[in-house]
Amino acid sequence: MTPLLEVTRLSIAFGGLRAVQDFNLALAAGDLQGLIGPNGAGKTTVFNLLTGVYRPDAGEIRLAGRRLDGLRPFQIARAGLARTFQASRLLADLSVADNVRVGAQLRTRPSLLGTVLRTRRHRATEGDIEARTRRLLETFGLAERCDELARHLPYGDQRRLEMARALATQPRVLLLDEPAAGMNPQEKLALRELIRRVRREFGVTILLIEHDMSVVMSICETVTVLDYGVTIARGTPPEVQGDPGVIEAYLGVAAQTRGPGGGA
Amino acid sequence: MSAAAHRDGPPAVWAHAWRSGAPLLVAVGVGLLMHFAVQPAVGAFKARVLVDIGINVILAVSLTLVNGFTGQFSIGHAGFMALGGYAAGALSYYGSYQLFGAAAFNGGVLSWTASQGPFHGPWVGGGDLLFVAACLVGGLVAAGAGYLVGLPSLRLRGDYLAIVTLGFGEIVRVVLQSTQTQLSQAAEVAATPWPLLTLKLGGALGFIGLPFYTTLFWVYLAVALTLTVAIRLKRSSYGRAFLAIREDEVAAEALGVHTTRYKVRAFVLAAFLAGVAGALYAHLVGSINAGELGFQKSFEVVIMVVLGGMGSVSGSTLAAIVLTLLPELLRTVTGSVNTYLPPAYELPDLRMIIYSLALILMMILRPQGFFGLREIWDWRVRRRPRPA
Amino acid sequence: MDTQSIDPLMKLVQTLLDGFAVGGMYALIALGYTMVYGILKFINFAHSDVFTLGAWVSWGLAARALRLEGAADAGGTPVWAVPVVLLGAMLLCGTVGFLIERLAYKPLRAAPRLNVLITAIGVSLLLQNVGQLRVVFGPYPKSMPALLPDVTLLYVAGVRVPVVDVLVIGLPLVLMLGLEWLIFRTRVGLAMRAVSYNTQTAALMGVNVNRVISFTFVLGSALAAAAGFLYALKYVGLKQPADTTWVMLGLKAFVAAVVGGIGNVRGAMLGGFAIGLLEFLGVAYLEPLYRDVYVFAVLILVLLLRPAGILGRAAVEKV
Ligand SMILES: Nc1ncnc2c1ncn2[C@@H]1O[C@H](COP(=O)(O)OP(=O)(O)O)[C@@H](O)[C@H]1O
Ligand SMILES: [Mg+2]
Repeated sequence: MTPLLEVTRLSIAFGGLRAVQDFNLALAAGDLQGLIGPNGAGKTTVFNLLTGVYRPDAGEIRLAGRRLDGLRPFQIARAGLARTFQASRLLADLSVADNVRVGAQLRTRPSLLGTVLRTRRHRATEGDIEARTRRLLETFGLAERCDELARHLPYGDQRRLEMARALATQPRVLLLDEPAAGMNPQEKLALRELIRRVRREFGVTILLIEHDMSVVMSICETVTVLDYGVTIARGTPPEVQGDPGVIEAYLGVAAQTRGPGGGA
Repeated sequence: MSAAAHRDGPPAVWAHAWRSGAPLLVAVGVGLLMHFAVQPAVGAFKARVLVDIGINVILAVSLTLVNGFTGQFSIGHAGFMALGGYAAGALSYYGSYQLFGAAAFNGGVLSWTASQGPFHGPWVGGGDLLFVAACLVGGLVAAGAGYLVGLPSLRLRGDYLAIVTLGFGEIVRVVLQSTQTQLSQAAEVAATPWPLLTLKLGGALGFIGLPFYTTLFWVYLAVALTLTVAIRLKRSSYGRAFLAIREDEVAAEALGVHTTRYKVRAFVLAAFLAGVAGALYAHLVGSINAGELGFQKSFEVVIMVVLGGMGSVSGSTLAAIVLTLLPELLRTVTGSVNTYLPPAYELPDLRMIIYSLALILMMILRPQGFFGLREIWDWRVRRRPRPA
Repeated sequence: MDTQSIDPLMKLVQTLLDGFAVGGMYALIALGYTMVYGILKFINFAHSDVFTLGAWVSWGLAARALRLEGAADAGGTPVWAVPVVLLGAMLLCGTVGFLIERLAYKPLRAAPRLNVLITAIGVSLLLQNVGQLRVVFGPYPKSMPALLPDVTLLYVAGVRVPVVDVLVIGLPLVLMLGLEWLIFRTRVGLAMRAVSYNTQTAALMGVNVNRVISFTFVLGSALAAAAGFLYALKYVGLKQPADTTWVMLGLKAFVAAVVGGIGNVRGAMLGGFAIGLLEFLGVAYLEPLYRDVYVFAVLILVLLLRPAGILGRAAVEKV
């Protein structure tokens, strides 16, 4: 079976810094994979490449066979790839519900005339958006606060709103960038459950960047490890945890002897 | 509002038609009310102030679409107004020559300003149609320019975009001021083909002798429609795309918003409305001069939007009303104070000084403007989410 | 000037002379825009009004304080008139620049750039309209007294070069050399460059950022004042402070800064002369009516094709 998301030899450099080099990835439908690595390893850059924020210098990205590289971010979102951001990028002055609505309206094509005249078609689509927004807000426990401004949410809720909003676009693949960052242990436990539940209920395939090993190792089936933009290991959590290269990268034993960007 | 009417059969059609058409009817109603009830009651001077308020409301609300909703920063709005005014003027002026033989009023009672004397004409005249067409053409020409100005917004943001819009406004002013002398003989007009006529717009002297059609009716019809468009946009997917761009372009794009397209759309729509405002203005004073529609006028509109609240339709409307009345008020106050002062100590025109201080203080004390993104009615008790 | 009957070489020389004269002024003003942008990353919209203020203060000092009106005819102006008026204008505008930054911009250090831009528009309108007050400069155009004798220094290809023109072209060059020295050879200049490169790091390394910002405003404002002084001296007729001509001059200087690569000091100098020459070449050889259009068209082209300017470097936004 061909993978749902297939990435081959993806590379980008910023000036002399090779942030990501020859990155390969295959996500089968329903997978929950992890992407880990020390700070600055290039994980977020991989997401930025996948979602079209940066244009890769080389490599291919295919979603269900369709080439995504070179497309603009909104086209990639429409193709079914959604993401959250490491540093939360909520629409801060809009309500919680509006944040989700923006995602939920992805497949609609609103017309100016329809909007101004509130045509039947217009109201049908808006009703549809509303229904899906409700459902997501319920799932993520945000229904109570739907009229609050996103900026006024507590931190944990903000992170969950980011996920809800990304899911509202009805993606096939969801990219989560350090969703547990800044959470306390209880919240992290809840987050694990939430990610599992999201995969079940929404049928999405998930690629998870996470700094917290406990989260990644407990829920991911496959883990890829990046260091200095280079993939240094891939396997099941136990395999990866036992890999000497990974331990070295995390403990930073050899870090001083290697120049930045000179991964391999 | 409830979805009940929507579900049960035939009446739904009517309910739906009513919901769609209501704003149009209300707009016409507001216009008629202003024309036949308010105008005779308040007299010529106050009626003129009301017209000025209406035109400024259209300008402020339209700029809100760009600066408030979409978070772009245009400071060349008067350029669109000028373009709309000239384009509309060209059509009504030369069109009148060709249709009626002279650039004279040929409208019905709705286009007749009571202060011009008693009216003995038809309810609707051929001139009315020409005038409405002129307003639409003015809007469309401005919208075309809005498209061109919107393009740089795809690559530039913040201050850079501001400067480009300002430059655009100034270019429009200079180009309009260097058009050729206008024709004023019916025979000359008849002998000149249309494409050439559009070059003869009066140049530095301004485009004068336009027929007077703008009345409280037309202005408030346009105001009501503008407000409907803005408010309905804000509460819909279309407007939410604008707002998402304002909040965070990268996030909006990641959520599937075609940011470039929506930015250009905001510019086009805002320019269209400003063009209509220009058309109304031109047929209010019977002339239009690009020299008066330079960046000072643009700044005035920006001030309305900023003070009212970046993104608040009702806020910028209120600001437009207050800031149109303020000069009148100040004139009265300083005028009456000055009668007691010796000439050397008379109070000067403090309007712009007050505006500029207000702008500076507002940015320090309440940077989001008076209402921010909210509307006046958003202060009601928070209720459960409204049904779609 | 009757350009039809003139000999082509003379016309060219005259055009270049005019272009350089006004280009020097643009360059001086552009330096203020560019230095502030380099450090605070915002367009100080009110900067052009400091230039206007410079011209009007020069008039105030010459005509009102020193009562030099008509002195040139009645036995000549004293030699100290030029330096005194120039330094006076620079000092006063420097102070105003300092106050603008402290009172209007400093409270907004952490605010979005758009808010600062709006404030700058407010400051600009305030300066213009305070200047129009009768107790200040008044709402009427005025004439600058002649501070220099109307002596011809030399002829270039038959074109007369009066002493005013030499000053107008020479002073900006001198000031720019001075600035170049200040920025690249002194400790203050080093601090300015450090803050411009990275404010946080500079602060960590012990640079007093607030003082550097204040100094930049004072410096930029003083240079704009010098340009205002030269403008008054060369063109004599001063439109009232809120007149559009002033804003247009300031905007063209801004265009010069953008064309040269905003944030880049040498770029601003280059841009100033480029815009001045472009304007006068356009007036002389194309259509004089479109004088402002050339400049704005160049601005829009540069912004679209090479947004970082001629000497600038493009930056990628980090997500
Ligand atoms: N737009 C950019 N310009 C320059 N360098 C960048 C850019 N984006 C990321 N980098 C660099 O690429 C490297 C990888 O960053 P990132 O992908 O954010 O790491 P992480 O694995 O912590 O998410 C870092 O050294 C970062 O500084
Ligand atoms: Mg990261």
